Amino acid sequence: MSEGNGVRIDMRDYIEENFLYLYPGIALKDEDDFLTLGIVDSLGFVELVGEVQSRYGIPVEDIEITEENFGSIAAIERYVERKRTAA
Amino acid sequence: MCGIAGIVRPNESAVVTETALLRMARAIRHRGPDGFGLALDAGAGLVSSRLAIFDLPRGWQPIESEPLGSVLVYNGEVYNHPELRAELQRRGVAFKTTCDTELVLRLLDIDGLTALDRLNGQFAFAWWQPSHRRLTLVRDRFGVRPLYYALRDDGSIVFGSEAKALFASGEVSASPDFAGIDDIFTLWGPRAPRTTFEGVHQVPAGALVVWERGRIVVKRTWWRPEYHRPELVEGDLETLLRDSVRLRLRADVPVGTYLSGGLDSSLITALAQQETDHQLRTFSVAFKDPRYDERSHQEAVARAIGTLHHVVEATSRDIADTFPDVVRHAEMPLIRTAPVPLFLLARRVRERGITVVATGEGADELFWGYEIFKEVVLRDLNRREPDRAAELLGQIYSYLGPAATRRGPAWRRFLLETGSDDEQLGSHITRALATATVKSFLAPEIAETMNANASLERLRRELPPSFAHWSRLERAAWLELSTLLEPNLLAAQGDRVSMAHGVEGRYPFLDHRVFAHASRLPAHEKLDGMTEKVALRRLAAKVLPSAIAERVKQPYRAPEVTPFFGEDAPDWVEGLLSPAGLAETGLWDEQRVGGLLQRCRAGRVTGMRESMSFLGILSTQIWHREFVGRSSANYQPEERMPRVRIDRVQRATQEVA
Repeated sequence: MSEGNGVRIDMRDYIEENFLYLYPGIALKDEDDFLTLGIVDSLGFVELVGEVQSRYGIPVEDIEITEENFGSIAAIERYVERKRTAA
Repeated sequence: MCGIAGIVRPNESAVVTETALLRMARAIRHRGPDGFGLALDAGAGLVSSRLAIFDLPRGWQPIESEPLGSVLVYNGEVYNHPELRAELQRRGVAFKTTCDTELVLRLLDIDGLTALDRLNGQFAFAWWQPSHRRLTLVRDRFGVRPLYYALRDDGSIVFGSEAKALFASGEVSASPDFAGIDDIFTLWGPRAPRTTFEGVHQVPAGALVVWERGRIVVKRTWWRPEYHRPELVEGDLETLLRDSVRLRLRADVPVGTYLSGGLDSSLITALAQQETDHQLRTFSVAFKDPRYDERSHQEAVARAIGTLHHVVEATSRDIADTFPDVVRHAEMPLIRTAPVPLFLLARRVRERGITVVATGEGADELFWGYEIFKEVVLRDLNRREPDRAAELLGQIYSYLGPAATRRGPAWRRFLLETGSDDEQLGSHITRALATATVKSFLAPEIAETMNANASLERLRRELPPSFAHWSRLERAAWLELSTLLEPNLLAAQGDRVSMAHGVEGRYPFLDHRVFAHASRLPAHEKLDGMTEKVALRRLAAKVLPSAIAERVKQPYRAPEVTPFFGEDAPDWVEGLLSPAGLAETGLWDEQRVGGLLQRCRAGRVTGMRESMSFLGILSTQIWHREFVGRSSANYQPEERMPRVRIDRVQRATQEVA
């Protein structure tokens, strides 16, 4: 079990508790795009970035706030892994 | 300024009880605390509660005309009444009062409904013509003053300034109209003629309804907002606005103004002070929370203009404690707390002995001040230069945070791409979708009655004929005027919260001449790139210090969710939203509401979607408890002596005897 799986589980819990409670009909997969599904709105996206930043102690640069890095559970996992490796 | 109500039956032998009329008068006493009057006619009864503003000793209602026998109950003001009276006097008409009520009745008797075009003001009235058994209900151009009615199975019409007057009559019961509620959960207010109550209708802004012998025979729009291009601009803005302010200072009682700290109310206050010889009183809402507070700007404006300034500080506790009162007065679910501080402010105004206040309402709709207009510009730009549009996106909604550079792709998606292909309602889709989040909390059986797009579909079907010929910005302006200003800002946040304390709001920007001028101005005179209200700013620069005239708009907002949670929160909140409380109304899904409450309690609610959802749920619970299924026996009758009592039934009986 890599640390990456931890991020995946953390983020799934976080998304379920804070966004998915509104959409009980959606079975969210790790690669599903939050914005396309409409489960995270513009301010929710900012909240999500803040959560990743504080939970993992990663300073997120403005330029990194993209769908590629934060658009899905899997994207966040990849981003966190990459940042940790670089650190 | 008053509240009006009444019942008229198709048949003159049918009875209208005085008790029903007294209960109706009592239900709207807050609108006219100075006294009330009633008229009893064969199969008809009309009441008026009065807030005395013109001709204090003689202006009581209802008033009747000789020899035609018509009767008028009237709420509001016609500001150009002295000019119109002088004209009628030249035509040989004699007047008993200097009140605008009598002027309106005489004009109607002589010129009929064509007289409406000549009235400059804000009014709603019921004109009873017994010879035709005809009742005409009329509402002003922008819908500043409210007017509700319901038809009973026997053909009787029951009307009132507020729906609670109808319920107090015992002839109309309150049950939810889910289409009206759906409008609130999409557009922020029920679109007339719809209301939140089944079978209760509103006369739309600028419209009239004629009832005759048991049925509605005419529904007509007598004024509608148009955007004529490329016609020439009419008049000069400064002259028109000065005249509008001058007319709106007319009263036999002292007049004050509201100061938000922004451009519009500052400009109105400056012009008002120039038009009066006494020191103007100004009133402002302030907040403990610095994110909402504009106190320093308000005080700077008051100092610069030289007014006697009063500040009401709204605490979180005040907002939570007063919210149920505001819902009761608004008679609808609310998705924002913004009306609450204005309710508190009106109370203070009344305590200071002021009953009339002028405000800056309407300027953002006429001169394109809202961010929603900039969204339209950016969406257009996004089609041509997406990078430039994304760059400018950081400049709008600055008050929502976060910093422009941290907004990321979500903002771009929501603000620039949502609705961009929708030619008709494109400007409003983002807001409508965000607001509609509240519907995801509905109980499944209720959700079925509000399908996803019903409210927007109805709106699409009911767009005015010329809508297709207007520019995107003009369409957005019409949508703001018709779906936000009238059903929400002038109602829940305007008439209802000020009239709750017998305080009349006056809106110099909502003079139809000012509208005609603004609507014909070239677009860049309103919104030039990202600079809003260009023509107004130019005028403001002449009468206000530059720091005020050039100030960037901060929208008026109040704390939304925080007042209802934490140590200082009132107990009833958790009670209404508990599983038992939710089960009582059966409107909401317990599990989903539970999820939201958890986030609220943890202080995690960050966005408008959740705050609007929370307030929508809470206020619907309050609204339901307050109105639905409540018996008319709970409405008390007016116990004071009427100041006017016209009793034609008695008169006829005496004559027969």
